[in-house]
Amino acid sequence: MPDFQPKIVAFVCNWCTYAGADLTGTSRMKYSPQVSIIRFPCTGRIDFMLLLKAFASGADGIIVSGCHPNDCHYSSGNFHARRRWIIFRGLLDFLGIDVRRVQFSWVSAAEGAKWAQLVNETSERIRELGPFAGYQRLRGLGVG
Amino acid sequence: MARIGVFICHCGENISATVDVKQVAAAAARIPGVAHSVEYKYMCSDPGQQLVKDAIREKGLTGVVVAACSPRMHEPTFRRACAETGLNPFLCEMANIREHCSWVHEKGDATTEKAIDIVRTLVAKVKKNKALQPIQVPVTKVALVIGGGIAGIQASLDIANAGHRVILVEREPSIGGHMSQLSETFPTLDCSQCILTPRMVEVAQHPNITLYSYAELESLDGFIGNFKARIRRKARSLDETLCTGCGLCTQKCPTRKIPGEFDAGLGLRPAIYVPFPQAVPNKPVIDREHCTYYRTGKCRLCEKICPTQAIRFDQLDEIVEVEVGAVVVATGFDIKHGDFFPEYGYGKYPDVIDGLQFERLASASGPTLGEIRRPSDGKVPETVVFVACAGSRDPAKGIEYCSKICCMYTAKHAMLYRHKVHGGKPYVFYMDIRAGGKMYEEFVRRAMEEDGVQYVRGRISRVFERDGKLVVKGADTLLGARPMEIEADLVVLATAAVAQPGAEELAQKLHVSYDAHRFFSEAHPKLRPVETNTAGIFLAGACQAPKDIPESVAQASGAAAKVAALFSRSELVREPLIAVVDRQPPPVYSSCVGCFLCQSACPYQAIEKEEIRGRDGQLIKTVARVNPGLCQGCGTCVAFCRTKSIDIQGFSHEQVHAEVLALLNRGERDA
Amino acid sequence: MNALREKARELLATKTVQVVIGYAPGSGGAARALFVREAAQAGELVFDETCLQNLAAYLMKPEVRRLGRAALVARPATLRTILQLAAENQLAESSLLALVPGADGVLSLSTFSAIEAHVAAQDNDLSAAEKSELEKFAAMGLDERREFWQEQFSRCLKCYACRAACPLCYCTRCTVECNQPQWIPVPAHDLGNLEWNVMRAMHLAGRCTNCGDCSRACPVGIPLYLLNQKLCSDVLSSFNQRSGMAARADHSLSTFKPDDPEDFIR
Repeated sequence: MPDFQPKIVAFVCNWCTYAGADLTGTSRMKYSPQVSIIRFPCTGRIDFMLLLKAFASGADGIIVSGCHPNDCHYSSGNFHARRRWIIFRGLLDFLGIDVRRVQFSWVSAAEGAKWAQLVNETSERIRELGPFAGYQRLRGLGVG
Repeated sequence: MARIGVFICHCGENISATVDVKQVAAAAARIPGVAHSVEYKYMCSDPGQQLVKDAIREKGLTGVVVAACSPRMHEPTFRRACAETGLNPFLCEMANIREHCSWVHEKGDATTEKAIDIVRTLVAKVKKNKALQPIQVPVTKVALVIGGGIAGIQASLDIANAGHRVILVEREPSIGGHMSQLSETFPTLDCSQCILTPRMVEVAQHPNITLYSYAELESLDGFIGNFKARIRRKARSLDETLCTGCGLCTQKCPTRKIPGEFDAGLGLRPAIYVPFPQAVPNKPVIDREHCTYYRTGKCRLCEKICPTQAIRFDQLDEIVEVEVGAVVVATGFDIKHGDFFPEYGYGKYPDVIDGLQFERLASASGPTLGEIRRPSDGKVPETVVFVACAGSRDPAKGIEYCSKICCMYTAKHAMLYRHKVHGGKPYVFYMDIRAGGKMYEEFVRRAMEEDGVQYVRGRISRVFERDGKLVVKGADTLLGARPMEIEADLVVLATAAVAQPGAEELAQKLHVSYDAHRFFSEAHPKLRPVETNTAGIFLAGACQAPKDIPESVAQASGAAAKVAALFSRSELVREPLIAVVDRQPPPVYSSCVGCFLCQSACPYQAIEKEEIRGRDGQLIKTVARVNPGLCQGCGTCVAFCRTKSIDIQGFSHEQVHAEVLALLNRGERDA
Repeated sequence: MNALREKARELLATKTVQVVIGYAPGSGGAARALFVREAAQAGELVFDETCLQNLAAYLMKPEVRRLGRAALVARPATLRTILQLAAENQLAESSLLALVPGADGVLSLSTFSAIEAHVAAQDNDLSAAEKSELEKFAAMGLDERREFWQEQFSRCLKCYACRAACPLCYCTRCTVECNQPQWIPVPAHDLGNLEWNVMRAMHLAGRCTNCGDCSRACPVGIPLYLLNQKLCSDVLSSFNQRSGMAARADHSLSTFKPDDPEDFIR
């Protein structure tokens, strides 16, 4: 599927990854435009329901990213998020949902290059996996 | 009906070079609810901001999206502009089409499409934004300072001089801390007591400072601006209001052979004692553990001779409750003692001593009145070996960090020794010399070059006794690890600076975090070095990490400035981007079911229990409440709550949900 | 059984409790819940292998709470549920006692610490059969698992019987009932069914005590226990925590360790 342009939503925290992505911009590093960012105060705020909503609304892939362990602006929001992701990821896999479509990462405010690389690699992987047709077929009636 | 204005910035060509801004403006105009959509070359310029302000007034906008740079850059700018027109600033959002779009993608349709996606997402968000008011928290303008060493003294004086009341709590019978024990201070060699004691007296006499010495914090509840502290005033066994500090009791006390804490165990004190002559307050305390009366039930000599009948053998500890608005923690440090260094014979040979003990030997007020005489036989030592990094920077001993003060005080010790014992031979064993600081390197140089202190780079392996001498075995690593053996009369170990015993317990009382070595953690290692993660609690001095006097004083003044800033208004104003637990009319009251699983998720102890009671006082339910003074707005509790009873203002369920849907539903109609 | 009846009679006669919640024979060979409020009625109580329901669910009902102090006939999972509810601030120690029928009579546990001691001594692991079923799932291909659950969830009616049966689904407002925003679509279609079941499993992660009542309640026979057992097993293997072990315990998903596993995070 050479022409397939995946839709990827990035859920990021304000203090590290959002700022890191700003740095990617100020450094003029290029990455795939298929990824759009939604800003949260902290990864601790990111509700797993939002990830489900993103898939339901047609996302082919999701990035969730925040501060590295011990760097959280709120000291432990990312640690709580990490536990939630461990469980959520296990559940998705158990239900037959391909967890390669959800990329978790830590990107600090200094890691502009890492952000570009993460986005590009994730876009490439999602492109290879193709549209998330299996999930989107579920959409049926009354999405959202 | 929403009337949203969208303002698209070219940012010169920073955006317009890769994004077709006209197309973005046209697409934005088609989004339902958008009443106005324009593009402009520099939206952040004065004319650009005017464009926004005019449109708000003329078009009656209910929300604003500025599609430009990162909100981290100009969100405050545009929110201020909105506020100037009377539009609530929290109804303005930034769509980041520069850092997250025009700068990171090539020119083309996909880039313009993404810019439109971002604008649509933020329009969807802003439609769900609510006008928010800054949060105001009343502030009790009284500060609690814990610890009366130099850091606590400095913080207390600074806050008191700013016109605010201070309650200073000191665990020992006198304030002064470690600094009062020091002989002279580096790099100026001025006498420690000469510069410290006037400050101590100032504390005692300051009308704004209440001093509770021989007292400890029992508990602390509440939150920034509104703490309640319980302080345990330990029984001194005398009525302080009657005692004149004449000192008769301490002179007549028959129990006189107790190793004195102030002299680091090198001098003796009686059972009723004042730690040192310049103590503040200058009132004695009975050491009940050693006092003959408490041990045998007989004596009471001090009671008999006291001219003011101030002795109270039956005195009990007293709990004092105070309300304070801020807390400065300045509990200082300790040094490693005891059997931590069996290889150096510390604790086994009386002439292997630590740095604080050497300070007392060198001090004019010390047990030898400033003459350097070794503890075992009072002989003036002809050769002294000083060992830096005794424990510090030694992962095998569990202390990886540098204690920071030892290089300097060891140079000072060697120098003082040479000044006092002219023919003496001082050796310093060191790993590296860390003399960063104003006039510090020069000071160490002076020790080496002018005072003839022999510096040997290497660790010592062992100290043992041979023919009345202490044999120090080591190696000089700068001379090919040549083994060295020095016969010394006195060995001084610069033992590692460590956290105070009880630091962990205090941290738990205060709800502040601490590191692996039990030093208290600052809120941010670079940018918030005097704050803790608990709003309203600040750090000063070596309780946060080993520090010298100038650093402790600087941090104390920093903490005092933070407290003074907090006390500059009677109400604390905070951004309202905080979590809130819903409240509803009866019979529901709140959808919260009171499981309180959110409580352990909150990094700030901001979630409280609130009892909802009926008119008859009957408990209806217990639900969560977010304390707006403590919440910092991370939203961890929000994602956690199963009943969606907690929401966070500015990143609410409705806002982020609308964003996700809008971002992905290109071309579909927004709700 | 006689010991249980005798104990119930005594508790009611002495007014130690106002109600004994136990089992009575129900229809179709299954047991049903029985609320015994008079000592004379205690003879109707039974206890055998058909008595599977987790009666702790009733402790959360206001109607039952109004009856007064309750004695609850408790199976192993019921005891864990009581402790979990206590850890979630939902039960007062004085409001209940647990009756555990055993080979030699009936054990009466009147304090949380007594229940904790009893729970600590029992086997709280997944059974060998349960573990092997999870292993079988782990060995399946991703598509196979997806097809399995898609077929299962396609039968879901969104009747919420699972929720009604679950003693830990005591929320007075469930996420599924939130409509601002509407987190989960109301109709019973594939997407909504998946979201509902994922949401419920996530909300039970680290809390579920594996009583199995959700699966027994499901009118279309969806094996919901599998989801919960999977999460119980993940919580144990990742965080070394179990739910329902203590009346004062930190919830595994609202606590953390700095060195929690993160091999999946870039």
